[in-house]
Amino acid sequence: MLPTPNGLSRTGWRALVPQQVTQGENGRHEEHWATRWAWFGTCAVRGFPAVTGRSETPSRAERWLAQVARAGRTVLQHSGEIAILLRDIVAALVGLRVSPRSILRQMYVMGVQSIPIVVLTAVLAGIVTSQQGGYQFTGAIPLYVLGSIVTESVVLEMGPVLTAIVLVGRVGARITAELGTMKVSEQIDAFYSVGRDPVSILAAPRVVAGIIVVPVLVAIANLVGILAGMVSAQLTVGLGPNSFLYGARLYWQSWDLFYSLTKALVFGFTIPVVAIHMGLRTEGGAEGVGKTTTQAVMFMTLAVLIMDALFPPLLLD
Amino acid sequence: MQTRPVIRYRGVHKAFDLPVLEGIDLDIHSGEMFGLFGASGAGKSVLLKTTIGLIVPDRGDVEVDGKSVFFGDGRDLRRIRDKVGYVFQHAALFDSLNVFENVETGLPVRRLRAMDGMRIARLVWQALERVLLDPREVMTKLPAELSGGMKKRVGIARAIVGGPDILLWDEPTTGLDPVNTAGVQRQIRRLSRELDVTSVIVTHDIEGGLEMCNRVAMLEGGRLRFLGSPAAFRASSDPIVRAFVDRAAAEAAVDLVATT
Repeated sequence: MLPTPNGLSRTGWRALVPQQVTQGENGRHEEHWATRWAWFGTCAVRGFPAVTGRSETPSRAERWLAQVARAGRTVLQHSGEIAILLRDIVAALVGLRVSPRSILRQMYVMGVQSIPIVVLTAVLAGIVTSQQGGYQFTGAIPLYVLGSIVTESVVLEMGPVLTAIVLVGRVGARITAELGTMKVSEQIDAFYSVGRDPVSILAAPRVVAGIIVVPVLVAIANLVGILAGMVSAQLTVGLGPNSFLYGARLYWQSWDLFYSLTKALVFGFTIPVVAIHMGLRTEGGAEGVGKTTTQAVMFMTLAVLIMDALFPPLLLD
Repeated sequence: MQTRPVIRYRGVHKAFDLPVLEGIDLDIHSGEMFGLFGASGAGKSVLLKTTIGLIVPDRGDVEVDGKSVFFGDGRDLRRIRDKVGYVFQHAALFDSLNVFENVETGLPVRRLRAMDGMRIARLVWQALERVLLDPREVMTKLPAELSGGMKKRVGIARAIVGGPDILLWDEPTTGLDPVNTAGVQRQIRRLSRELDVTSVIVTHDIEGGLEMCNRVAMLEGGRLRFLGSPAAFRASSDPIVRAFVDRAAAEAAVDLVATT
């Protein structure tokens, strides 16, 4: 018989288990299937020796099962917390509890203050794409095709993704560190204690600002990247602006701009949401803030790259 | 004469990785100065935070003025938070707001909407004066520009500005030198008397707590180990309480030697 998971009721597990032990046909007490699964769950959370009291090392299969359960639990925990955060943000917006002044302030911090680094990144991306294209295509195909390659590369991929990566570092890390510090210094609790809702004050303005400013920043990055690519093409392979723009127009579809700005909108939503979520779950003082900020940057970067990979099959023929 | 209970903890259970509170049943009466003692990690601050729903217990409930903190509706919780002032261990002032704005946040939102700027300024001014800070000097300062003792006082001003019925003090003297500690203890006594509030004080400072409070409790192993008067606490024959009192006395003596 499996040992009873000690302390399950305290974490709410027992409420999920319909019946711990039932009377079997042969008169012996048999465990309910849910008890068995709850036991595995507890082992995953607390470790086998803590639950079983066994001193011997668990088998490889037990360890593997515990790892899988632990990973599943973490994913479900994050998903649930993000869903609750989004629900609260929507409630704050619908209830008009978000100050327009806070949104404008966040738009300034996230948008205006990010313009220099976004422009610099876009210039470099445009130059590199143009030079690499020129190197590959000189003598092979008409050079005006370079205009199309630079434009499409910048608009479809470089502009949105590089801008998002830059914002992960500049904006996302800042949000996580700021909210994480507030969390560990009990400022978030202080908001609740004085009857204020930190989601309305801290989270919602940042998400709204992200949704508004990131598409604008991506539009700027697209424009600057194309211009930089055009200048670079002139200087490196001698392709004039008229030929460059001819090539750009040849394969241009207005859908491409919609695609680029849709990506920007999704990234503009995802970066602050993940950053806020991680910031609000920070624990453990200054070390905890550092650890959570690093994790947040990793999660945001992964989220941007995974969503970027999902966009072509969803929105491009 | 026993007054009515204003805070009732009913079977409060809470576990993080390990159990912290294991079925706390406790009534705190109107006008009391109630001290909550216990070793680090005993769950004192956790219990205090459940009072206004900052920590949700795994089981059990807390009632404030007859209203359930966890099973009432959102309005009940807002009303409870409006009538309770919470003084945080490290003040928990909002970094981006100056002292005036920090104290102003202590005014209940609904009352704030109905007030003009002059009235708000007067209340903030009075709250700062009550904690013996010069409003002219500190109002425009950011928390980073204040000393530890001043931050604590601003935190207290924020807790009292809304005219609460109950004050919850989470380790109010932690991190302060003996002079500031004595000053904060005097303020707790004076404010509790002047504002006619019920105070619950979580503290490591046993001697200070026993002097200030008219009833005390000790948490140990997630349960209430002692509940009674300060005199009974001092005279307790319970070996765990005795060990705790002796250790606290020894630590106080070491502190005194270190500062003299």
